Amino acid sequence: MPGAAVRIEHLVKVYPDGTHALHDINLEVKPKEFLVIIGLSGSGKSTLMRCINRLIEPTSGKVYIDDVEVTALNHEELRRLRRQIGMIFQQFNLVKRSSVLTNALSGRLGYLAPQWALINYFPRDVKLQAVENLKRVGIAEKAFTRADQLSGGQQQRVGIARALMQEPRLILADEPVASLDPATSHSVLKHIEELNRQDGVTVMCALHFLSLARRYGTRVVALKAGRIVFTGMPHEIDEHRFKEIYGEEAVEVEIT
Amino acid sequence: MANRTVTQPPPPPTILRSRTRPWTVVPVLLVVAIIYSYGWNVTRIDVGQLITKVYLVRPLVRDLVRPDVLRWTPRLQTASASLNFTAEGAPAPGPSVQTGPRVVLSSEVVKPGSPLVIRGEGLAPSRPAAIYWKDQSGATAKALDLRTDAQGAFVVQLTVPDLIGEHHQIVVEVTLEGRQLRPSEAATLVSSRLVETLFLALMGTTIAVIFAVPLSFLGAKNLMTRNPAGTAIYYVVRTVFNITRSVEPLIMATVFAVWVGIGPFAGVLALALHSVASLGKLYSEQIESIDPGPIEAITATGASPLQVVRYAVVPQIIPPFIAFTVYRWDINVRMSTVIGMVGGGGVGFLLIQYINQLLWREAATAVWGITVVVAAMDYASAWIRERVV
Repeated sequence: MPGAAVRIEHLVKVYPDGTHALHDINLEVKPKEFLVIIGLSGSGKSTLMRCINRLIEPTSGKVYIDDVEVTALNHEELRRLRRQIGMIFQQFNLVKRSSVLTNALSGRLGYLAPQWALINYFPRDVKLQAVENLKRVGIAEKAFTRADQLSGGQQQRVGIARALMQEPRLILADEPVASLDPATSHSVLKHIEELNRQDGVTVMCALHFLSLARRYGTRVVALKAGRIVFTGMPHEIDEHRFKEIYGEEAVEVEIT
Repeated sequence: MANRTVTQPPPPPTILRSRTRPWTVVPVLLVVAIIYSYGWNVTRIDVGQLITKVYLVRPLVRDLVRPDVLRWTPRLQTASASLNFTAEGAPAPGPSVQTGPRVVLSSEVVKPGSPLVIRGEGLAPSRPAAIYWKDQSGATAKALDLRTDAQGAFVVQLTVPDLIGEHHQIVVEVTLEGRQLRPSEAATLVSSRLVETLFLALMGTTIAVIFAVPLSFLGAKNLMTRNPAGTAIYYVVRTVFNITRSVEPLIMATVFAVWVGIGPFAGVLALALHSVASLGKLYSEQIESIDPGPIEAITATGASPLQVVRYAVVPQIIPPFIAFTVYRWDINVRMSTVIGMVGGGGVGFLLIQYINQLLWREAATAVWGITVVVAAMDYASAWIRERVV
């Protein structure tokens, strides 16, 4: 299961209300990279990520995953491609009233016949796989707990287990730790890092804190007002660059 | 505008300048006093009556706290035999018993006006007894009082009256020693009508759910207002919900009682119609408030639209739908008692009949029965809602 390569060419997104979210983005992500995307809120990080799996339709430009042109796929082809792209969200986006196990299982839906959904049927091996993945993120004992009974960090680990069910080659993590406290942030990011190191999954991860970007990223891309303003190694972001990305008044906040 | 205000002194902060002057308080108080004194007169409030006329309500309240639930009834021993005007179509005679209480007739096929010898055997000895004619419609008429002899037997001769129908029964009741506590007639009637009321509410709610679920999707703003046609449907559905909801179910029940006749069916229809609107509105609001996050997340896994609905939408709306529906059933049980009063069937209809006949103790039975059932429904529905949501 090698990591996927992502290539973005001249990507533009203009929302119907006229907001220019992305201006001509060109970006290449190599397999097995842990690419951290930084930038202020509203700089276009979320839009960029959602344009890759087309949860948001780009206005123009092209997205390739391993030389497959994502932006040219029809519905069914896109659905098949999405199975290989795990997504992790800031607000976890779990079904709160469903059990942890069901939430994890839902990551596998793309591989199952849709009609089984009507009787809520999952094959035995898929259930075993879900339990395995919950074990991997250290939350198997909560399998039958309702998702909304868990703490934020635990919910995000369920989110990771759900992504793991897809056996993804690429993980899009949209500010996965922005709703979590520092200690929990590290435990969640370590799970994502492990996926990247051990399984070789390519990771694109939006983060708010530079310290986290330096700690986990193999490369950093900075967005500002829909444009890439910096690409480089994490340690290259000095005081000057920081002010360039976040504005003159910004003060770096350490998260340890 | 801006440069003009610069030259003017800033207005004093409004918080320091009280807008109401002291003298305005007086006319305001005067107006309020006029309104309430008119209200006092027009509603004929007379607190004194509460004291002076308490004697009128005393027997009523006394009866209300003494509902007619249980009654001491004499213990009875019964025996019967069939009696026919024609042999044709007569019910097959039961196996002739030789022991135990039994009634033997001189002839099983008789004519009105002909003599009939009735022998009772194996009954309680030396006890008062009565013989009844029970005609084909089930109506009984007492024929004779008598007393059994020391062997528990009797022989009498009667003239057969002109009974309605062809096939009748002779029933002998012997009053035994002692008495027993039995549910009163009112209690049995009330409990059977309470069951009717529960099912009336259940049927009304169920019919409402069948219509409200699809309609609620048409009345959900987030789903429907994406194109002009959808927006139009949305407004029509919402308007119909609002108008229907504002018509009192009491009025609906009156209309349906005229339409399909007095009885539980009219009540079911009235409750169903009102509940469609209430549930439809509640369901729609629930659909409008679902979290789009899980839909996005499950779409991102490569799930098909059917799977997205099943695993991201349904889990978000089914529990609140169930909760609203159980709550509605609970409301409908309460409402159906009122609806019953205007001809919607159920215990309410019985209650208003008792009240009209001034049968206060029987009415009290109905009131207490309703109270118990409504309180139980209240607890049950709260318990279910707590577990579902």
